[in-house]
Amino acid sequence: MELLNMHPLIVIVLTPIAALLAGLFFMGVTRKFTARIHWRYGPPITQPLIDIMRMFSQRPVSHGTMFHGGVILSLAGALAVLLFIPFGNIPPLSGSGGLLVILYLLLVAPLGLALSSGEGANPNASIGISRKLMLSLGYEVPLLLILLTLMTRYGTLSIYDIVHAQQETQWALVTVPLFISGIAYILILPAVLGIRPFEVVQAAQEISSGPLVEYSGPYLGLVHLEHGLTLVINIALFVNLFMGGAQNILLFFVKMIIILLAGLSINAVFPRLRTDQAVSWLWRWPALLALTGLITVMIWR
Amino acid sequence: MNPQIIVLTALTGAVLSWLSGYIYSRLRDILAGMTSVILVLMISLSHGYSCSFSIGTFMGFPLVMQMNSLSWIFALTISAVTLCAVIFSYSYMHGKENNGLYYFMLLLVNTAMLGIVFSGDFLTLFIFWEIMSWATFLLISLKKGKALEAGMKYIIMSVFGSMAMLGGILYIYSLHHTLVFSKLSAFAGTYQPGSTAAILILFFIGFGIKHAVIPFHSWLPPAHSEAVSPFSSILSGILIKMGTYGFVVIIYIVIGLKTFLLFAGFRYILHVLAAMTIIVPTFIALRQDDAKRLLAWSTVAQAGYIMAGIVFSTGLSVLGGLFHFVNHAAFKALLFLAVGAVEYRTNGVRDLNRLGGLIKRMPLTFSAVLIGVCGLIGVPLFNGFVSKWMLYKSLIMGGSPLLAFAALIGTWGTVLYSYKLIHNMFLGQLPREYKDVEKAPLSMRIPMVLLALPVVLFGIMPGIVLRWLNSVIVSLGFKSIKITLWGIASSTGSVHMIYIAAAVLGGVIVALLLLSLGKKPIRIAQEDTYAAGAAIPEDKYNFTVDFYSPISKTIAPFCKDIIDTFYTKTAAGIVKVCSMIRKVYTGYVGTYVMYIIFFLAALVIVQLAWSF
Repeated sequence: MELLNMHPLIVIVLTPIAALLAGLFFMGVTRKFTARIHWRYGPPITQPLIDIMRMFSQRPVSHGTMFHGGVILSLAGALAVLLFIPFGNIPPLSGSGGLLVILYLLLVAPLGLALSSGEGANPNASIGISRKLMLSLGYEVPLLLILLTLMTRYGTLSIYDIVHAQQETQWALVTVPLFISGIAYILILPAVLGIRPFEVVQAAQEISSGPLVEYSGPYLGLVHLEHGLTLVINIALFVNLFMGGAQNILLFFVKMIIILLAGLSINAVFPRLRTDQAVSWLWRWPALLALTGLITVMIWR
Repeated sequence: MNPQIIVLTALTGAVLSWLSGYIYSRLRDILAGMTSVILVLMISLSHGYSCSFSIGTFMGFPLVMQMNSLSWIFALTISAVTLCAVIFSYSYMHGKENNGLYYFMLLLVNTAMLGIVFSGDFLTLFIFWEIMSWATFLLISLKKGKALEAGMKYIIMSVFGSMAMLGGILYIYSLHHTLVFSKLSAFAGTYQPGSTAAILILFFIGFGIKHAVIPFHSWLPPAHSEAVSPFSSILSGILIKMGTYGFVVIIYIVIGLKTFLLFAGFRYILHVLAAMTIIVPTFIALRQDDAKRLLAWSTVAQAGYIMAGIVFSTGLSVLGGLFHFVNHAAFKALLFLAVGAVEYRTNGVRDLNRLGGLIKRMPLTFSAVLIGVCGLIGVPLFNGFVSKWMLYKSLIMGGSPLLAFAALIGTWGTVLYSYKLIHNMFLGQLPREYKDVEKAPLSMRIPMVLLALPVVLFGIMPGIVLRWLNSVIVSLGFKSIKITLWGIASSTGSVHMIYIAAAVLGGVIVALLLLSLGKKPIRIAQEDTYAAGAAIPEDKYNFTVDFYSPISKTIAPFCKDIIDTFYTKTAAGIVKVCSMIRKVYTGYVGTYVMYIIFFLAALVIVQLAWSF
């Protein structure tokens, strides 16, 4: 509980470091857990950290200013989002703009990567980016409906207020009109996290990891860090919006791990969908559920 | 500064530069540029000036010119965008025929638009409106051929809109025997539901056609893509926003906020139209292959955002709508100019399937498109973000989540077509034929920089414009909204760009620090890419054609422009009927004599039948 009394500046410094480490830890868990499901031994959980250290010791190649700047912008975008999300008892550092700002800041990271990888003339990168954008349009349809449902239900744009309202009553996931949206969110979560069956963007066997194909050395390290952060952010969003956040940071972390492991169980056993299949599926069932949820909430009032 | 002096200056400048073109063509260009600069200066100096003058009568009707906070902000945007377009035209139009007519019409359109926003009564407004419409027609069809077709489509729809507007003006006159805004606003709130509906519908058609609201949008895509690029930027940036100005005048000055709020059914229809105007064109845009046509469809969609803000009629939404108008003028004019620069350097190529990899060839143009696109999407720290945030917030808190969904999903569609635009022009592989493309000339780079500045500046310090607009919405009858330099500080939710800027800046610093830990990169060429040992053949694998093919098929059935097909078929039907009637005129005297005899015979028969 002493975390509550910390100076905001210390929190500003600690949050990104903790989140970066958590991201690396999640990536380690991903590899180990998936290996165990596959009846392999798997690498140690610290493997991603070791990989990053190795990447930083290697000499990279660069295609130019946009290539260089885009990677930096991408990580910066992901780091900036962190400051607007509550983690357990650590409140967001700024109430500015609420959920809409988070939604928009989430755009910066993929956009930076897209512009960066586009500067190299590798067609695999272009294909990967076009897939990423299509997939995100696919899951944004239900996701936006779900977020609008929450904002309408709780009458606020602020994520902090939504978490607070749930802590006073119960999780949105088990509240009567909202559980419909909760189910829709669970259905699209693999797509948001970019794991199978929606792993169309970094399809290693088809398009050489897509957008990542041109990165090497520290650049690849930054992209990996960004990937870990995106995992943390998206899982944290779900925990905050539908599982009532948490009273303290430890409980919050446990909730995040549970969501991650559930996602990984799906990831480990499913094949990959084609992009068009993925998008049409996302636009059909989750979107319908989310729309039902929104209309129910609109009538409920 | 008196509004009539400003309009007169604009007109004099237009005529002078036209005449001087006969003496020396460079003199004409310089005079046109000077006129635009003087206008920008005159208008910016008259900030805060409010007045109304009677400038004479026309057929017994008084003609009034006025200036207030609303017309000032529109006039400033108009003159600024026109200035950029004129400078851009120096190289773009160099050596083309009909240049004299081009500059004259460009400045005349500018004069007419200034006249519209400075009008103090409907008659003056209508006169300038018609001047604007006809001058625009000539400019759109400047290139002949396809452009003439586009121009015809535009002028036919425009005339239709003008007729509706004239009907509305006559109706208002029959009610109150005056057309002066200041006198009409005294009657606001006294209208019967029937007459309100009549006025709203007539003016909605009149202004809606210029504003390209669905179902009146179909003139816009061909007109914007076929016009010369500097004029496309004027068309998209400001000319269609004359419709926005009209909406504000008719809803909040003539009808009045209170009466409009009572009209729930009509407002609901307007909301649905706005939502459709946002969503459908967005998805049509992402299937376009012509860069300017893509931007044209995007304009239709963005105009939908502005309209949604205006007709939602809460203080924040109108503020957001007007702010989006200013922002859209900046980033869309910028995008059209940048596409025009690429078109200029590649000898007229706008086809996104044939371009690519130009980032190293035209770095400044790339930056311009990047900034424009960020504004268009509304990436935080660019101007579009703030205005869109205000719209979303007012829609969500105003209890219209479905309309908010339309606006939000429109934005995610915008990400897709924006990236397609920037990728297919500047990223990916460079086709061999563009290996020696030069960077844009100076007279093209200056306006691009001028327009890129406000996109970034208003994104970080939106308070500059919002303070001006706040006084506008107060004059329209809304409560004042608390504005700071960095954003909005209202109690129900605030946005402070300074925090977001600090967060992103902090992120950049951390990323830079991390990167400095690693080894320095080796610079390699664009084409030097990884292909798992198999070299990628140069010029062969440029991934641009059908960029979003997997979803293209899914959305294709929903992206048919049914309304345009309907108009085209109706027009074809009318032509068919008319050409059948035309067959009556055979050209032989004998046939005509026969018609006369038949006619006389018919008269005799009628006469006989009558007498019975």
